[in-house]
Order: sequence, then structure tokens, then C-alpha cells
Amino acid sequence: MTSAAPLTLDQINLFDPTPFEMGEAHAIFKYLRNNKPVFWNDGPENLVGTWNLTKFEDVVAVSRLPETFISSTGITQMKLAVPESDGLFGDTSGNGKMLITMDPPRHVRLRRLVNKGFTPRAVAAMEAHIREITTEILDGIAGRRSCDFVLEVSSQLPLAVICGMMGLEKKDWPLMFQLTNKVLGAGDPEYQTDVPEDQRGSREAANMTGAMGFMQMFAFFGQQLQKRRVDPESDLISLLCGSEVDGEALNDEEILWFCFLLILAGNETTRNAISGGLITLCEHPDQRQKLQSDMSLLPSAVEEILRWVSPVTHMARECTRDTEIRGQLIRAGERVTMWYPSVNRDEDIFPNADTFDITRTPNDHLAFGIGEHFCLGAGFARLELKVMFEELFRRFPDIDMDGPAERLRSTFIGGIKHLPVRYTPAG
Amino acid sequence: MKVQVNEDMCEGHGKCQNAAPAVFRLREDDVSEVIVDVVPAEEVERVERAIRLCPRQAIKWVSQT
Ligand code: HEM
Ligand code: SF4
Repeated sequence: MTSAAPLTLDQINLFDPTPFEMGEAHAIFKYLRNNKPVFWNDGPENLVGTWNLTKFEDVVAVSRLPETFISSTGITQMKLAVPESDGLFGDTSGNGKMLITMDPPRHVRLRRLVNKGFTPRAVAAMEAHIREITTEILDGIAGRRSCDFVLEVSSQLPLAVICGMMGLEKKDWPLMFQLTNKVLGAGDPEYQTDVPEDQRGSREAANMTGAMGFMQMFAFFGQQLQKRRVDPESDLISLLCGSEVDGEALNDEEILWFCFLLILAGNETTRNAISGGLITLCEHPDQRQKLQSDMSLLPSAVEEILRWVSPVTHMARECTRDTEIRGQLIRAGERVTMWYPSVNRDEDIFPNADTFDITRTPNDHLAFGIGEHFCLGAGFARLELKVMFEELFRRFPDIDMDGPAERLRSTFIGGIKHLPVRYTPAG
Repeated sequence: MKVQVNEDMCEGHGKCQNAAPAVFRLREDDVSEVIVDVVPAEEVERVERAIRLCPRQAIKWVSQT
């Protein structure tokens, strides 16, 4: 890992997905925390440059000021300098239209509309259901001695939970999996199936893949919405249909964007936390041993997995008034990118930050962000992780990696596409 | 000093109650309630910790006297 550490600042380019795909980003972040914690990166090609925040306190400070550091102009570092007029698909950014890309005061009101379904109590009430789904998933691999852990296990639980919440039929779940991969993994050639093979890997191929995933997703949810307008059910989509913000009913477009956000946020991130958790435990046999001999350590192990893996790699903001961060002037109009894997290993906050310790206390990591946009699904993600590792280690205590993990080519999501595992079949 | 929980922001994560149980109490409806009028001096540090930890950043001091 350390061999990949860059020697000088001008060799660092945080727009380049390669170090992330190779699992080498931590060396770069460590270097930045020590040498240039607020680091300017010019944007390549048609992208706007951004300030990169690598220290814990700076990310907390920015997250605390949602009116100064706004989300409505985009939450990833990929912000186009000149809009690419693409009449075919229209604006697929969703900026300003989703909870995650909306600023106060509207954000506060929209969030209040849905957050009752995500509080600790609401989440706890789902535990039995989540355990049932987990059991069914593990039944599916029990007769064999190996599988692709991502395709058959870690992706399946979050997918089932979020699809269930939205009232989608089981037959549609595989499509949701496929479309999520296209949207969030657009830059990865594996998901560029709508593009001829010899053209995959280019930026055009990524744009095309993202746009196709987006269109299919909207078409699908458009049909779901029509069904519920006629025949409301007790699911989240139906709830949104009957809801108002500022005395006005949500229109179709707003509801569709909400569905889009939930399906993406709800399934890709938790998948990677589960896969990343298993990889991390396999790579730290002493910690794994400790956990498996005392499963009451699981809640704190889950927090440590979240800190260690940091499944969401970054969120970005745009500055609306000149503000200083760690002595660096950030001007109105400039963008900042908050790097969660970095802040979660900030030596000023976490003693022995580079040690994976399942008993770490306190462990106030920022894997779910903080403040106004704090992850709405954090409770579900935590519960899914807990139940999955309980059931997994109960039934397959010797499960182990059976080859290297394949990572996603992305600077936004710490994705794991494939993870071969082997285990003793269970009855 | 007085402390306040913004009910529009609070989502019942309970970190405040863990940090300063003599000051915050999580209600049945998953909203945190301040159960003292004035925060006693010996609780100030714990309240500071609650303010720092609250995932929604829903807690703030309202008077510095
Ligand atoms: C381990 C899994 C997860 C991680 C690491 C994660 C991470 C995050 C982060 C860092 C944010 C903050 C965005 C910001 O500050 O701009 C966020 C927001 C959000 N997450 Fe998650 N998430 C996870 C699972 C989930 C799940 C399971 C759901 C849905 C059931 C979900 C739904 C959301 C939503 C709706 C938002 C936007 C909230 C807002 O803007 O008010 N997430 N998530
Ligand atoms: S920690 Fe914050 S969000 Fe959680 S209960 Fe306390 S005030 Fe509410």
C-alpha cells in the first residue's frame, strides 16, 4: 500500500478512480492529512475543480452549515464546467430535486415527511422481518461450498429491504439491482452493457450507461406510481402520493426522484458495507476470532466496520459565501469534497486510526455523514449489518475469501463487485 | 446555561441521552426532550459532548448566562 504513496502533491489527482479501484487511496489520504489537509484539485477535462477536505473537524464544520455549503448544485465531485447539452435525456443530475440534493428550508420539510419510517423504533420493529429475509438468502447458498458473496448474499439483503419498503414485487428486484449498478457504476466497463464492447471504458460509454439506467429506472417507477395513484397500498410510494409539502401535494416528478434516491441509496451502500465487512474480518483473523467467540461485540464491530470501510467515499458541496477552513479561504462559488475514508482514519480523532479494533470506544465515525443530510437509512444499514453477520457466522463459521475481491472503478462509492468465498455447507 | 433540541431536526438517535442522561430524555415518539431548565455546571461538559455527537446536529445552547 505505502509503495503507492505519491511523492509530491502535484502527483495527486482525486478525480482518478484508479487508486480507489486498487484499494490504494488510504496512502494518498494519509499524505494529504499530514501535508495538505485542504487540498485543491483542478478538474480534468470538462469538470470543475474542487477543494478536498481530509480532516474530521473540517468535514463536521462544513456539514453543520447546510446554507453556506449547499447540496443543490450536486453532491459528487463530478460537476461539469460547461453543461453538455444532451437533448436526448434532459437533466439527469437530479440537482435540487432529491432530498439529498435539496437545501433547507424545503429539505427540512420533505425530510420530516418521511423520517418517521426510519427512526430507531421503526427500524427495530423490522428486525424479525430482516432476519427472515437473511435466512432465506443464506438458505440459497447453504447446499454448496462456494459462491460469489456479492451477487448471492451481500447485495440481496439491502435490495430486499428497500424494495419491500417501497412495495415492489419480487420479480422486479433483479431489475432494480441491474439498474442501480448502471447508474452508480456507470464508469465501470462491466456495467456498460448497452455500449458495444470495443467502446467500453470511455467517458461517452459512462455517460450513456448512466443515462440508460436513469431512463429505465424512471420508466419503471412511472408505472409503479400510476398503479398506486389508482390503488394505494401501505408502502412508501403510496405514502408519498398522499403527502404535501408547504400545503402542496408532491408532484409525479418529485415522487419519482424520491424513489430513484431511495433505491440507489438503499441498496448499493449497504451491499458494500457487508462485503467490505467480511473482507476486513478475513484480513484481521485475530479480530474475527474475538468476534466469533463473543458475538455480543457485534454492535461495536459493526461501527468499526463502517469506520474502516466507509462505503460512501465522498459527498460534495458548493460554497455560497467566502468561508475559511483551516486557514484556507474557500470562495463563494467554489466546490468542496468531503472524503469519508480519510476523516474516519484521522489520527487526531481516532487513536491508532490504522488499527482495525472491533472494541473501539468511542467510535464516532462519519460513515453516514452528519447534520442536515445525515443518512436517513443509517438505522436500517446498521441493523442489516448486525443481522447478516449474526446469521452468517452462526451458519457458516468458517466462511473465507476464495480469491481477490473485484472493486468498482469509482471515486464515489467504495464498491465491491465480486467476492468469491468458500465455506462448509450447512444443513 | 440553557440547552435546546430542535424538534424539526431530531430523529431520536439517542446519542444525547447516552452522553448526558441527566439532561436529555428520549420520548416515546423518538424525539429528545431537555429535562432540566438550567444545565448544572457539572453537566456542561457532557452536554458539549452531546452537541458534538448528535447525528442531526439538533442541539444547541440558547443562553450563555
Ligand atoms: C452502510 C450503508 C450506508 C452508508 C455508508 C450511507 C451513507 C450516507 C451518507 C454519507 C449520506 C450523507 C449525504 C450528505 O451528507 O450529503 C447519506 C444520505 C442518505 N442516505 Fe445513506 N448510507 C447507507 C445506507 C442507506 C440506506 C439503507 C438508505 C435507505 C433505506 C439510505 C438512504 C439515504 C438517504 C435518503 C440519504 C439522504 C438524506 C438527506 O439528504 O437528508 N442510506 N447516506
Ligand atoms: S442525538 Fe440528536 S437526533 Fe439523536 S435524540 Fe438526541 S437530539 Fe435527537
